[in-house]
Amino acid sequence: MAEPSSLDVLLKGSSGRNTRGLLRIVILLTVAAAAVASRLFSVIRFESIIHEFDPWFNFRATKYLVENGFYSFWDWFDDRTWHPLGRVTGGTLYPGLMVTSGVIWHVLRLLTIPVDIRNVCVMLAPGFSGLTALAMYLLTCEMSTSPSAGLLAAAFMGIAPGYISRSVAGSYDNEAIAIFLMVFTFYLWIKAVKNGSIMWGALTALFYGYMVSAWGGYVFITNIIPLHVFVLLCMGRYSSRAYIAYTTWYALGTLGSMQIPFVGFLPIRNSDHMSALGVFGLIQLVAFAEFVRGFLPGKQFQRLLTSMVLLTFGIGFAGLVLLTVSGVVAPWSGRFYSLWDTGYAKIHIPIIASVSEHQPTAWPAFFFDLNFLIWLFPAGVFMCFQSLKDEHVFVIIYAVLSSYFAGVMVRLMLTLTPIVCVAAAMALSAVLDNFLTLGKPTPPSKVNADGSKFFGSGKGPMVGIYSSISKLFVSGTITLYLLIFVAHCTWVTSNAYSSPSVVLASRMPDGSQFIIDDYREAYYWLRQNTPDNAKIMSWWDYGYQIGGMADRPTLVDNNTWNNTHIATVGKAMSSREEVSYPILRQHDVDYVLVVFGGLLGYSGDDLNKFLWMVRIAEGIWPDEVKERDFFTSRGEYRVDEEATPTMRNSLMYKMSYYNYQSLFPAGQAVDRVRGVKLPAEGPQLNTLEEAFTSENWIIRIFKVKDLDNFGRDHSNVVAFDKGLKKKRATKKKGPRVLRTE
Amino acid sequence: MRWCLAFLLVCFLATVSALSSSGSRLLVVLDESTEKSSFSTLWSDLEGRGYDLTFESPKSDKLSLFAHGERAYDHLLILPPKSKGLGPALTPKHIIDFLDKDGNVILALTGKSATSSSISSLLLEVDVHLSNDRSAVVVDHFNYDTLSASEKHNVLLLKRPDALRSDVKAFFDGEGVVAFPNVAPQTLGSDSPLLMPILKAPATAYAYNPKEETPAPEDIEATGSQLNIISALQSRNSARFTVLGSVESLENQWFTASVKAPNGKKVSTANREFAKQLTGWTFKETGVLKVGKIEHHLATDGEVAAEDLNPKIYRIKNETFFSIEVSEYVYDKWVPFELPTGDELQLEFTMLSPFHRLALQPTSRTETSTVYSTQFVTPDQHGIFSFRVNYKRPFLTNIEEKHEVTVRHFAHDEYPRSWAISGGWVWIAGLWSVIGGFLAFVVVWLYSAPIADNAKKTQ
Repeated sequence: MAEPSSLDVLLKGSSGRNTRGLLRIVILLTVAAAAVASRLFSVIRFESIIHEFDPWFNFRATKYLVENGFYSFWDWFDDRTWHPLGRVTGGTLYPGLMVTSGVIWHVLRLLTIPVDIRNVCVMLAPGFSGLTALAMYLLTCEMSTSPSAGLLAAAFMGIAPGYISRSVAGSYDNEAIAIFLMVFTFYLWIKAVKNGSIMWGALTALFYGYMVSAWGGYVFITNIIPLHVFVLLCMGRYSSRAYIAYTTWYALGTLGSMQIPFVGFLPIRNSDHMSALGVFGLIQLVAFAEFVRGFLPGKQFQRLLTSMVLLTFGIGFAGLVLLTVSGVVAPWSGRFYSLWDTGYAKIHIPIIASVSEHQPTAWPAFFFDLNFLIWLFPAGVFMCFQSLKDEHVFVIIYAVLSSYFAGVMVRLMLTLTPIVCVAAAMALSAVLDNFLTLGKPTPPSKVNADGSKFFGSGKGPMVGIYSSISKLFVSGTITLYLLIFVAHCTWVTSNAYSSPSVVLASRMPDGSQFIIDDYREAYYWLRQNTPDNAKIMSWWDYGYQIGGMADRPTLVDNNTWNNTHIATVGKAMSSREEVSYPILRQHDVDYVLVVFGGLLGYSGDDLNKFLWMVRIAEGIWPDEVKERDFFTSRGEYRVDEEATPTMRNSLMYKMSYYNYQSLFPAGQAVDRVRGVKLPAEGPQLNTLEEAFTSENWIIRIFKVKDLDNFGRDHSNVVAFDKGLKKKRATKKKGPRVLRTE
Repeated sequence: MRWCLAFLLVCFLATVSALSSSGSRLLVVLDESTEKSSFSTLWSDLEGRGYDLTFESPKSDKLSLFAHGERAYDHLLILPPKSKGLGPALTPKHIIDFLDKDGNVILALTGKSATSSSISSLLLEVDVHLSNDRSAVVVDHFNYDTLSASEKHNVLLLKRPDALRSDVKAFFDGEGVVAFPNVAPQTLGSDSPLLMPILKAPATAYAYNPKEETPAPEDIEATGSQLNIISALQSRNSARFTVLGSVESLENQWFTASVKAPNGKKVSTANREFAKQLTGWTFKETGVLKVGKIEHHLATDGEVAAEDLNPKIYRIKNETFFSIEVSEYVYDKWVPFELPTGDELQLEFTMLSPFHRLALQPTSRTETSTVYSTQFVTPDQHGIFSFRVNYKRPFLTNIEEKHEVTVRHFAHDEYPRSWAISGGWVWIAGLWSVIGGFLAFVVVWLYSAPIADNAKKTQ
């Protein structure tokens, strides 16, 4: 180090600081750009299209907002869903997402950049994931002194598949902005706790309010911040900083969250929010106790404290029980129970269990979504234990809770990802900081007394790794891991998470891509061939898509707010025609839409979901719909010759296989999803007529016939139209019934 | 030839103003062998009422009820064919399709010969039953014409029927007796609300096959007023299908015949008037209802602006006004529709099931229609409701109106303000007392800072 190299001018002193700052900005921008870019696979592979199910509703709501303005969006009564109940949509959604993209759209228009609102919606998630990477940098910098930790965390967050799964271009869902808001709220919270500043506390509350407006997962923040404070209190780490941060956040944040109509009075009435209220009370007591301690001698104070704690706990608990029993405070919601008991939903609320993203996570999913971060994660958490500052306590709590939740529900992998990135970045930066320093310290001339502190330090006082081979080896390995991580993320993103699921892709034998576009084909058929207010009945999965793409009223949709209504649809689908037809008539149904994958081998079709319809219907009408009747005597769910009569007479079965046999030579009909040969004789439909079947038979639409003009039974009408002569009613036994007129 | 016919048809349509409310093209299907002239009075009566009569034989090649997928005729009168069946152009399917497309049909039967199986299966479709061997005749030993059927007792002399029920209009009533020779009886299925008897046999009548021996009592399917001489079906689209048991009653000779009932005086028949009533009703000259304007809007005192009329959306607890204009067609003109006493025109405000079912009151009258209206408060339930008027009565065409409206919830600024609710005053007071208290505290705090010097001295 005798001669200062030309690099040193840049890297040392104040200009060095500037260079590092500049580099950091460049790196962060690159990370953000990478985060955005890796989410564009879906647009490149397919097109700029809204994905899946919920995004279609969000998209439709955004269009409504942009067209009609904020106030009519706020008071929106949607008469095109949940026919005939309608939905108070403005009061039952989290408006943050739509308002965000509406604002962006208006700003762009103000800048005279005419952009289609669809493109704003498609690109919103990638854009916000860039911001998430930045927020992640800020959060991790609060946790670690190492400057590289933040950058690593930002990079991890930018491309971790666990987050990408919900934020590719077109995945216009609440999570698209909510994860950014969550991470940023946590950053502000850590800031507030560290500084004890009202300003940071208020900012936390502000972003918490934004988060509440954007995603139902805000409850996670509502519980984890009080838990953090509670643990700090239990650790005897009460400080005025925590007091100021928490009270500011709670008071302002609760007020803010109550401004969202969908949340309303939940923060003071729902059990899910009670921990925040409880900790708020507790911290007041603790603060008061601290205050009193200044005036009282130790022994009296001890006694006072004990009695006070017991008293408040008793009163508080009794009060809560009383309020819960009397119904003022709502008991825990079903989704909450299913977090603790994975079997709960399956027994009590089939509608929650029927959603695939509410299933427990399979263990490979952790590796699939997080790759090598998952094994760096414990190391990072361990490092938090080493320097156990307030913010590290937060990381530990967050890590424990979200690991559990992610194990219970696939969907909550999303909340786990940020903390995994933080912890892994901390661990990795510690390794890199140790192994990437080029210079060796000059050995101190004399052995100082400190050396005795270390165990096994007989060889010398110097602790550390100075061999360039081991440095090279370790950093080389880590570089390899990082490279594999990037490759894995890219692969997962492009192969697993970029499918719009509205458009399906498959490979032809020659390897070329074959696009299956049946959904849009059918929805556009509906849009162009049916009256504007033709009511479409389908299973609720397709409600949002029908509303968004076909623009027709639906009976049920993915906002599963009314279980009975869904069960009604389930009953109509799983009953005989004679039972279903009055239901269809009563609900003004004009068309029935079913998804059938038998021809193509598309496994996500309605017959495979059928048992859920049966279960949900059975929940409401246990006497009329019985799951057992759909299984053969040997307990098998079959659709072939051996299918039970109930199965074969159900509307769903009939609609799925109606006319299907005509595609095949006689007696050769095969269902490729369930891999069975079908009966030679196809089902006959009396009350419905086939209106449309898409190219690959994935979507089939049936029109509900009107009542017969002459009051005949539909089966008789069909027989008459086929030319069968009606048999004269044979003489009834007993006396003739007289017409009384 | 075709275009020539079509041209003629257009000319006819242009010149002849139909008196029926649903068109004037009447096809009469009769055998060549049937004496067309024996019904000449009926034909001239019908032509006098504005109908274009086309006569076709059931065997004719030209005979088709449809042209280019549309009805070629508005009404159809089928006289019983001598031969078996009505031929390939008048299968039950064709006639059902004709009715489906709003055509009206009179099917005349006769007890003289067996009814063909194709007619029988057509009638079976609409739940009208003929006797088992399809050749029964109604006889009545108390109400027969002593002049022409003193032996056989098969010419029934009946009064014209009164209203079916007290709350139903009568379309076939009047003075005089009608003679029905050789009636082929019908019985009606018991569960169809679309069927109605126009004329029932008297309680003393019964049916039997004169070619066979007297049947055993247990083989008799129906007797007395279970037998129908004339029955009618009004389908859900209000197409009318009348089955007349005795075609002879339309013949010239019975239009002017003198008859004498046992123990009665000699009178001349009222067949001609009754035939007018019967064909008039079936061909929609009477008993036709028409809905004119339907208006609904928020109840206001003054005039309603055009843009506020028939809104698509209401709010819960809105005071709402609904009116419907109904006319009735009587032979040649639209007149205001009057409800029979004891009957109600009802409005339903329905979502899945009716939330309101209200009687509509006649409020005003125009030259051709009566305006029925009512006023009500929308229920405290948001959703997609419909105004429904469902008025289906025997012999009147159906009124089935359904108008969908949305009933929305209160918007955020439609609730009463907090200070307008007396119960909220406590909270408002609490709010402002906290604010006031805090401000007072701040003031006190700011102006009561301890003097630093003194404090130091005391310490």
